[in-house]
Amino acid sequence: MMIIPAAAALICLLTRQRRVYEYATVAGAAAMVFIALSIAAGVLRGLVIKSPGGMIYVDALSAFMLVIIALLSFVAAVYSVEYMGNELTAGHLDKKAHRYYYLLYNLFIFTMVLIPMANNLAILWMAIEGTTLVSALLVGTYRRRESVEAAWKYIILCTVGITFALLGTFIVYYASSGALGEGKGVLEWTALTSMASRLNPATIKLGFILIIVGYGTKAGLAPVHNWLPDAHSEAPTPISALLSGILLNCAFYGVMRFAVIARASCGPAFVRDMMFLFGISSVVVASVFMLIQGNVKRLLAYSSIEHMGIIALSFGVGGPFGLYASLLHILNHAIGKPLMFFVTGRIKGLYNSVESEGISGILKAMPLMGVIGFIGVMALAGAPPFSMFVSEFLMLRALAAGGYWYVMGVFLATGGLVFYGLLKNFGGMFLGAPSMPLPVGAAVYKSKTSFITGTVMFGMAMALVVMGIYIPGPLDRLITLSAGIIGG
Amino acid sequence: MPRQWVVVYSITDFITIGMLLTVVAMNSIKRIETCLRAYTLNSLLLALLMAISAFYLDAAHLYVAAAFTLVSKGIAIPLFLKKVVRDLKITREVEPNINTPLSLVITSVLVVVVYSSLSKGIFIEGFTENTLKVSVSIILISLFIMITRRKAVTQVIGLLLMENGVFLAGFSLTYGMSTIIELGVVFDVLMGVIILGVFLTQIKKSFAKVDLDKLNTLKG
Repeated sequence: MMIIPAAAALICLLTRQRRVYEYATVAGAAAMVFIALSIAAGVLRGLVIKSPGGMIYVDALSAFMLVIIALLSFVAAVYSVEYMGNELTAGHLDKKAHRYYYLLYNLFIFTMVLIPMANNLAILWMAIEGTTLVSALLVGTYRRRESVEAAWKYIILCTVGITFALLGTFIVYYASSGALGEGKGVLEWTALTSMASRLNPATIKLGFILIIVGYGTKAGLAPVHNWLPDAHSEAPTPISALLSGILLNCAFYGVMRFAVIARASCGPAFVRDMMFLFGISSVVVASVFMLIQGNVKRLLAYSSIEHMGIIALSFGVGGPFGLYASLLHILNHAIGKPLMFFVTGRIKGLYNSVESEGISGILKAMPLMGVIGFIGVMALAGAPPFSMFVSEFLMLRALAAGGYWYVMGVFLATGGLVFYGLLKNFGGMFLGAPSMPLPVGAAVYKSKTSFITGTVMFGMAMALVVMGIYIPGPLDRLITLSAGIIGG
Repeated sequence: MPRQWVVVYSITDFITIGMLLTVVAMNSIKRIETCLRAYTLNSLLLALLMAISAFYLDAAHLYVAAAFTLVSKGIAIPLFLKKVVRDLKITREVEPNINTPLSLVITSVLVVVVYSSLSKGIFIEGFTENTLKVSVSIILISLFIMITRRKAVTQVIGLLLMENGVFLAGFSLTYGMSTIIELGVVFDVLMGVIILGVFLTQIKKSFAKVDLDKLNTLKG
């Protein structure tokens, strides 16, 4: 599993033939999808994969994350071939930068694949820090003033955040050595969870706060989200999709693993309160900023913060419904958000702009993109019958069952703001008479999407629709199993 | 026990206080190369502390960790940053947002707060009992330096000092983790510095200056 992206990266390093490294990336990603699905099938049969040294451990939750990572890296790879090819012909970047893009792309996937497979919490930390380093370079791909600025902010803020997470990891280790005796501490997640009730609650509390601040920075939870809109809006579109579709979830995965320990050690109330704190501030901050955004990519970035907030909230409620909703929402967001970034990338190709003002009538100018985009927007806004409605509804049900009415109130109010913010911008873009495409962009970009890219995007949109009505059996079992792991 | 003199003369305290002082001194240093020297001294002290603890505890893996720290933080990173600084032709820090006397006062307040609040809570026995307090102070002061300084290079040095602080804290809490983990973490830090160096050059190219005040186009 880990070897494939590493090998693909090596190919990018060795060859200068554009077609060769493009195909290597796509083929590698396709192979990863296959392996991830077979791992998931194995996990469903009750297998747990462990490496001899105990460094690698794959259970249902890891398999769930692996499937998301593999699928997303595949669709983004397919999209990259067309998008980055267009950027190359348009002269936005040179050949060398184009090749480095694919090299870094594969390294990025490599570090992200490592995250759910790591059993050791320090390895988890290293992998997450690795994603920051690689993706910062990807954010800076264009070397424009803004992208360099965004990359700088991104790497500084996330490194500071993750340094706190390292301290948190040390403190958890200290707690374990307090329970096991001097010098015998452990960092294996499996070992820590089995002895969690014996860990000192005060120490674990401190550790968990540092962890949630640290990985929360990376997961884009407000109030430590400031890097996110910049990085998402300045990165090349496929990378924006990967950042918000899987990177945020990978960081949140780190929080989830620690939360299992914290829940067993200092009780569910503490974890719930922390999650509510970060979740509510995320949805509030995001919904307010979404009202004033004119730049569509930034709008989508703030929407990511909102959705991470929702995931945190439903994770905080806990219980079978809350956890199920949280994981389902991770999946839905990982499909819906990249899809919208892809659509935005196409629009940018045609109009050479990502400001919602001045663009209209996309439904007529690019019918396929218009329809797909419209589905995506409605899904992101949480409208029925799309998949996000299901997970949000499940969360509301869990909240109501727990009696957290104030959280429900805040969520519903911000949900309304988000709906308005999204529709105000995207509605104007999709509907109405087509504004004339600017000649600069249109001359070099094919206005028609290629068949493969179109199929992939159409498939993603269909997934949003279908999952709103029916969740396939194996997926349902996988999520239930994962929720069981978190719920203990 | 013949190794007891390490504790009797409280050598660890001397070293950790030395680390704290280098960070405090960062507040008043204006020349970038002197800042780098302060960081180098800080890292060397960290490596020394690890080596002495290795001697005291008679633990081979701590010698290895000390060697890693010495080579990466004490030698490689300072040399690399020195080269970057020379290439960028920056010599002095511009006047920070908060002037030197005030920032020294704030720094000392931070130390007092850390000492008073950590006297309860986590309690560590043994020869590193003061180390945790010092390391948390170092982390906070470095964060403060990162916030107040205007040159991007100083921000990087602040980040590195903060990482040293976390290493110190981790060390006092765990007496060193397994070697492979130390190696991995150090490797990540090293890569981070190199990438930050790359970005410093890019900032210089696209903004003509490496002042952070210039990085203000992206808002809202």
